[in-house]
Amino acid sequence: MKRLSDFLVGEVGIVKKVNGERMIRRRLFDMGITPGAEIYMRKKAPLGDPIEITIRGYELTLRNMEAKCIEMEGNN
Amino acid sequence: MNPIDVLIIIGCVAIVVGVIVTSIINKKKGKTSCGCDCAHCSGCANKTKTEEQTNK
Amino acid sequence: MKRFALAGNPNCGKTTLFNSLTGSTAHVGNWPGVTVDKREGVYKKGAEPISIVDLPGIYSLSPYTPEEVVSRNYILDEKPDCVINIVDVTNLERNLYLTTQIMEMDVPVVIALNMMDILEKQGDRINAKELEKRLNIPVVEISALKNTGMDELMKVALATCKKERKGVTVLEHTELSHLIGDVRIALQGQEVANPLFHAIKLIENDEIEIAMHPQTVKMVEEFKNTFTNDLFGTDFEALVADARYRHITKNYSPLLTKKAKGIKLTSSDKADRILTNKWLAIPIFLVILFSMFHLTFSENFLFLSGILNKDWVSLAGTHFEGLFGSGEGIAAPGVVLFNLMDIITATLSGWIGEGVANLTSTEWILNLVNDGILAGLCAVLSFVPQIIFLLLLLSILEDTGYMARVAFILDKIFRKFGVSGRAFIPMIMGFGCSVPAMINTRTLADERERILTIRTIPFFTCGAKLPILAAVTGAIAMAFNVANVDLITYALYVIGMATAVITILVMRGTTQRGEIAPFIMELPTYHMPSFKALMIHLWDKTKHYIKKVFTVILASTIIVWFLSNFRWNWTIIEAKETMNESILASIGQFMQPIFTPLGFGSQLGSLGWVFAVAAILGLIAKENVIAGFLTLSSVILAMMAVNPDILVNAGVLSEEVLAELNALIESGEFGEDGYEVVAMIAATGIEIPGLISFIVFNMTTIPCFAAVATARGELKKGTAKWTILFWILTSYIVSMATYCILTWWWTAFIFVALMTLVICIIRLYNKKHPIAKRG
Repeated sequence: MKRLSDFLVGEVGIVKKVNGERMIRRRLFDMGITPGAEIYMRKKAPLGDPIEITIRGYELTLRNMEAKCIEMEGNN
Repeated sequence: MNPIDVLIIIGCVAIVVGVIVTSIINKKKGKTSCGCDCAHCSGCANKTKTEEQTNK
Repeated sequence: MKRFALAGNPNCGKTTLFNSLTGSTAHVGNWPGVTVDKREGVYKKGAEPISIVDLPGIYSLSPYTPEEVVSRNYILDEKPDCVINIVDVTNLERNLYLTTQIMEMDVPVVIALNMMDILEKQGDRINAKELEKRLNIPVVEISALKNTGMDELMKVALATCKKERKGVTVLEHTELSHLIGDVRIALQGQEVANPLFHAIKLIENDEIEIAMHPQTVKMVEEFKNTFTNDLFGTDFEALVADARYRHITKNYSPLLTKKAKGIKLTSSDKADRILTNKWLAIPIFLVILFSMFHLTFSENFLFLSGILNKDWVSLAGTHFEGLFGSGEGIAAPGVVLFNLMDIITATLSGWIGEGVANLTSTEWILNLVNDGILAGLCAVLSFVPQIIFLLLLLSILEDTGYMARVAFILDKIFRKFGVSGRAFIPMIMGFGCSVPAMINTRTLADERERILTIRTIPFFTCGAKLPILAAVTGAIAMAFNVANVDLITYALYVIGMATAVITILVMRGTTQRGEIAPFIMELPTYHMPSFKALMIHLWDKTKHYIKKVFTVILASTIIVWFLSNFRWNWTIIEAKETMNESILASIGQFMQPIFTPLGFGSQLGSLGWVFAVAAILGLIAKENVIAGFLTLSSVILAMMAVNPDILVNAGVLSEEVLAELNALIESGEFGEDGYEVVAMIAATGIEIPGLISFIVFNMTTIPCFAAVATARGELKKGTAKWTILFWILTSYIVSMATYCILTWWWTAFIFVALMTLVICIIRLYNKKHPIAKRG
């Protein structure tokens, strides 16, 4: 199983499932991270965490902790 | 006493009393003591509105 | 009067539209969460005046932070005549996600497609007519920034609000439609308003909704049991969100035709590459922060002192002597502004003083005008341009979109201390003014994080405390011949920030234990700050300061002068007598011992109570510290002229400074060049450690009235009391440490050891008593 937190900078993938605690999941959905959405891993912060992604045409930042909740399709 | 002196004293007293009275009035109205005149700050946006409503 | 509400995602231009429509000057910034409370204005250009309500930005109608609840409740409970849903076309899908939810309510809706100018610039196109048809909601293309499409929007909205509208949902043709239908009918039976909206929110397990309709929940659960889905099982939240986005990507997204395919590099991306670069990001942030203060405070701008011709810079011999700095180096823009204003106020007060002297010869009236009114007033007025300059720099940071990046860069560091990077934005805003900064904490989802942030915001030295820093360090430079005092200023800012970090650490380990809130934040595109918006904002702030100076501060200085010149039996104290018989003295002397451990208490001479009084005055407004200071020191200087004996503690000053001071007193030309404070130092015998500790105390103690009131409003009842106690304790400990370390350097080891010990004990205790994890 691949998670968003395992992604390298520059990788692109499709969201498969979103796990995690209720409020966090709710927020991730609202921000457009739903199954089928394409995520481009833009960059990591200078200290490796949080990460910045492009989703649905805009930039979003979230921590590795939250990125762990996002399961991705096996995509290379 | 010189009339100018009297004027200056009255002016000073007026300023002090005025500031104290307005601050008491503002406090009663529920406004903060910041004066609510920064558009930057949304602190009073809500407060002034409720005040209008109660006046109606 | 009709009421239209502006709803939309954060940072989609609601407030810009609000300003365009109503002619207001509400503050806009380039980061999500600038507006945290609703505000009303009136649109007057149409056939009838219309009330416009600006709501905080929301991503969905299931709120997450306190300020988002405001928006949801407003639309549901206050029933505006029309909701103008602002959709940022450059970010269509996520913006329409909110639209699909607003549509479900029984309220007229108009969509304003904002940022059309940017879309056109990118060469992209959108088929607005087709979008209107598919959504079955009027769509108007606008650009809030360029002010186009405003009247059209209002015309359409006015026409729309006259027709009633029943909620529709995009989930109609999904497998959920039966379930939604059943719940809706049940709610309709209970005569709930907006049944479709509430039905869907109930199915989504929305917490507010479940609390509102406890009876219906059971029924919904029963309905739900009959339902399964292959992909999501019974995860209705995911199911609904997914269905919405699926509908959007299928039906609406194709209407947007992009010129360039794939991910291209805009100038914003290029800037971002450098500003959030792996190696450069943190150094760049530190440089930006340093330059901000360097530009405001430095007496040796860009460290050019070695290169420049000294005589040319100092303008020696002219009326503007020292405007651009002294022979030591050229002054930074902020200092030039201060010098200019200082010259202006000194000239003006000179004229006023002379004018009054021509009119009256009553000595105590003259003293009242010169020492009681002019000295304090000018002291604060001189600093206004410098404060505004610092605010300008902060506003530029806000408007460019860099603030959100700072949160991104520093999140990991801040998490170590116990708050998320998002909390750092209000903290930086605190350098301007604590009040809006505290209000902005509403964008923080976690209650503990809000408490921590509100408590530490005052440690980020606000604009009103700037005069304390600048004037006292200036006096140190003058009285003790210390060079490069701006280094002391920077150090003091750092002490403030360090205090914030340490107190957050301690509170996170003791009273505010808990997990750190998640950090999910949108990063806005960079753009050039709007000159007009900046100027409006600064003008606003200038007005605010001037008003404050001529009301609260003027009144305070008059009171201070009166109390320091009269005895308890209302007789005036003659110039050759001592101020120590005054009303203020007896109050001050009563409080003086409290400040002894901080270095400005009983160890000072008989006039040492002035520091205690100045510190207490700061509770009204921080500018008062300096205003009160100058009023009192003018009184001292005036006394010295008649009675040189008060110079009892002159030992702290060097021969040179003392000679200058005496020369000044003899010539009778005092009241110029800041020698009042030098005289006060001479009269009280305070030394550098005490003065610095005095600044630190004022920086970290209870903030002004306005900030305390705001904190009380933002915090829950019980917390506010503790917050005030926290400020008192922190300021006392920090200034005591500052004083001790500066006086006896080796005490640094004791303080460091004590601090380490405390943190270790907290850590150990917490290891043994772990907190229960949240579910």
